[in-house]
Amino acid sequence: MSKQWRAVFFGAVAFLAVVIIELATPPRADAIPAFSRQYNTSCSTCHIDFPKLNDFGKAFKDAGFKFPTDDESMLKVPPVMLGAPANKELWPHAIWPGTIPGLPPIGLRFNSYFQVVGKSRGNFNPFLPLTPTLTDPSGVPGFVPRTDFEPGFFSIFTAGNFGSDIAFWVDDDISVGGANKNGTLGDGYLRFVNIGRFLRLPKDALTFRIGQFELDLPFTQARAYDISPYDIYTQANFGATNALFPQQNVANAFNFNATPLQTNGVEFSGGHNYGGYHYSVAFVDQNTGNPIDTGTFVPSATGGNNGGLGFFSDSNFKDIYSRFSYRFNLERNPESRHSIQAAGPTGPRDHTYIRLGVYDFYGRSAQRFSAAGGTTLTAHEPFYRLGGDLDFGYHGVFNIFGLFMYGRDHNLLPVNAEGALLPLPLPADATVAGFVHGAAATFSGGFLQADYLVYPWMMLIMRWDSVHSTGDLLNGAGFIGGTAPEFTNYPLPFSSTRNRYTPGVQFLIHANIKASFEYLVRPQQAVIVNATTGLPVQPFRVNAATAGLEFVY
Amino acid sequence: MQRVSLVLAVVVALALVASAGSISGKVSGVSGKSVVYVDTIAGKIFPAPAQHPVMDQKGLLFQPHVLVVQEGTTVDFLNSDNVQHNVFWPSISGDKKAGHNLGTWPKGEKRSWKFDHAGVASLLCNVHPEMSGYIVVSPTPYFAETDASGAYHIKDVPDGSYTVVAWHEGAKNQSKPVTVKGDTTQDFTLTK
Repeated sequence: MSKQWRAVFFGAVAFLAVVIIELATPPRADAIPAFSRQYNTSCSTCHIDFPKLNDFGKAFKDAGFKFPTDDESMLKVPPVMLGAPANKELWPHAIWPGTIPGLPPIGLRFNSYFQVVGKSRGNFNPFLPLTPTLTDPSGVPGFVPRTDFEPGFFSIFTAGNFGSDIAFWVDDDISVGGANKNGTLGDGYLRFVNIGRFLRLPKDALTFRIGQFELDLPFTQARAYDISPYDIYTQANFGATNALFPQQNVANAFNFNATPLQTNGVEFSGGHNYGGYHYSVAFVDQNTGNPIDTGTFVPSATGGNNGGLGFFSDSNFKDIYSRFSYRFNLERNPESRHSIQAAGPTGPRDHTYIRLGVYDFYGRSAQRFSAAGGTTLTAHEPFYRLGGDLDFGYHGVFNIFGLFMYGRDHNLLPVNAEGALLPLPLPADATVAGFVHGAAATFSGGFLQADYLVYPWMMLIMRWDSVHSTGDLLNGAGFIGGTAPEFTNYPLPFSSTRNRYTPGVQFLIHANIKASFEYLVRPQQAVIVNATTGLPVQPFRVNAATAGLEFVY
Repeated sequence: MQRVSLVLAVVVALALVASAGSISGKVSGVSGKSVVYVDTIAGKIFPAPAQHPVMDQKGLLFQPHVLVVQEGTTVDFLNSDNVQHNVFWPSISGDKKAGHNLGTWPKGEKRSWKFDHAGVASLLCNVHPEMSGYIVVSPTPYFAETDASGAYHIKDVPDGSYTVVAWHEGAKNQSKPVTVKGDTTQDFTLTK
């Protein structure tokens, strides 16, 4: 484990731009103006610096995207009745009456970015003849511009309640700059709130969700308000394949920031996010990156050749995600403590609270290899991601939160018929006869972030990300020989622990228009390895700054 | 004797007519309700009414949107919503010392405040920033709200010379000297 775990807290104003950063895929951030229209109320009824939710917003979400009590009297756009309430008495000889929102509850969002890259951006291509993988066949190196305007997402999202405690949410990125130009479906699910009432369980003890959704992570990535993602969430687990070191047959592409950010499956949950206990258990498709059959000859539920678009799980196994947390509201007055928001001397405000949680994700990755006789051998490699999280908030003005994650993948090494280890990556003519156990591939890390609301329209942010992965370090070391320094095939971390520090500031120009700024002090990287030790030398940082402007309506 | 009685009756009747003057007219240039009131009368103090008018918070709205009261009136602020609300006003007609925050209270309960400072208090809620209401505090008991067409009628105004003020949300106030002699008419044209 890294020795560099320590809390970093800044209360001063972060300063703008001047440095560069490669822009990671910006997280989608979903504040839903449709609710604002339905209830004719400001965004700040539910949000602090959208899309960050205040306690009332959390209660609104927990209740199935409606006011926790007396919702009917708050709606300014009356719902359309799909059946008179008296039809309930006629059921099953009548359709159970529901409602749809009176107007389509649609929200739209657009953001754009500007980034500045520093001099070290060119360090990845300093020695053309020795790094052929970084150049095109003409020998001209790739070019990274110093400054760049970038489009972000144009997203549409819709959510609400169909009555009978049935909530819905669908969001889609209609266009995305960069690699995902065709856009992608985000969340799309139905949520049956408080189904425990049919089992005579306490209120809100059991809720069911089905569809495509982001896992109930301690801190959302899909709806995060930071420009850059949490590094630990982007961490996949690829074992060491460098021939100079003990190899690991682990190629697990799963991470909590996968694109799409969501998984397909079902989830059971209960409790509240604004106080007390909260739990969730989800069973979702496994997708660790193995090729998925498009189902050309096997029909499936959704369109395409021969009746099917194909399949979305690369394994028979269904992964399991579980989470439990408890939030302690710290007001002395019990009535205030148990309310959705605390009663302050100048009006309602968020609670002062502390929340502690644990989570675990368990899957079983499957890697398939050609075996003798034209058969296929499968290495089933169980893996898990587990950790704990902490969240402290003070009056909705100050918030410090973070999590720790430990990831471990079982490692089965392929052997030939003689029982000898086969080199990785496998040669094209290799035939796998079996597997032997190897050292597990592990990583760890987390983040710690502090937010301070200087004014209702201005928030300071400071974040520390840290990821420790020996496999990442070894894989970047390249294949070396001789005594002279060698150049890596691609930029590699200078150390097995990558630390990033990110100060930022966000301004609400209006309640629905936001300007964001981040400056990333990025981890050290290198392009040269020592031929004897195989370790990187001459580190540098590719620091960067990003400015974002977004609006929702 | 009969003649004396008749004269006395006429005098009394004339006196009664003289004290029952009114001011009426129309406020134009703006749409929606306006408020017209007689400004401070030098040397005159009016006892505050005992009744407490109510300003409610219901459906994330201040109801009524505009409440006119006489200076010295105590207003009861009621919360009829199942969500927590807050009532505060940053100032009364720009006087920040007259601003006040009533805090938060649960559904069904009310808090009271005596408005002994003439002017206009813009009501806000700090958890629902779109909520807006007004309390117009008239220094005299002679005030009225216009109807939807902008017409107003202030009754029982003693004859005399006064300054009459017209107010409308978002518009500039207009003051005019008015001499009340029986039923008197005065129109206002407000601008934003």
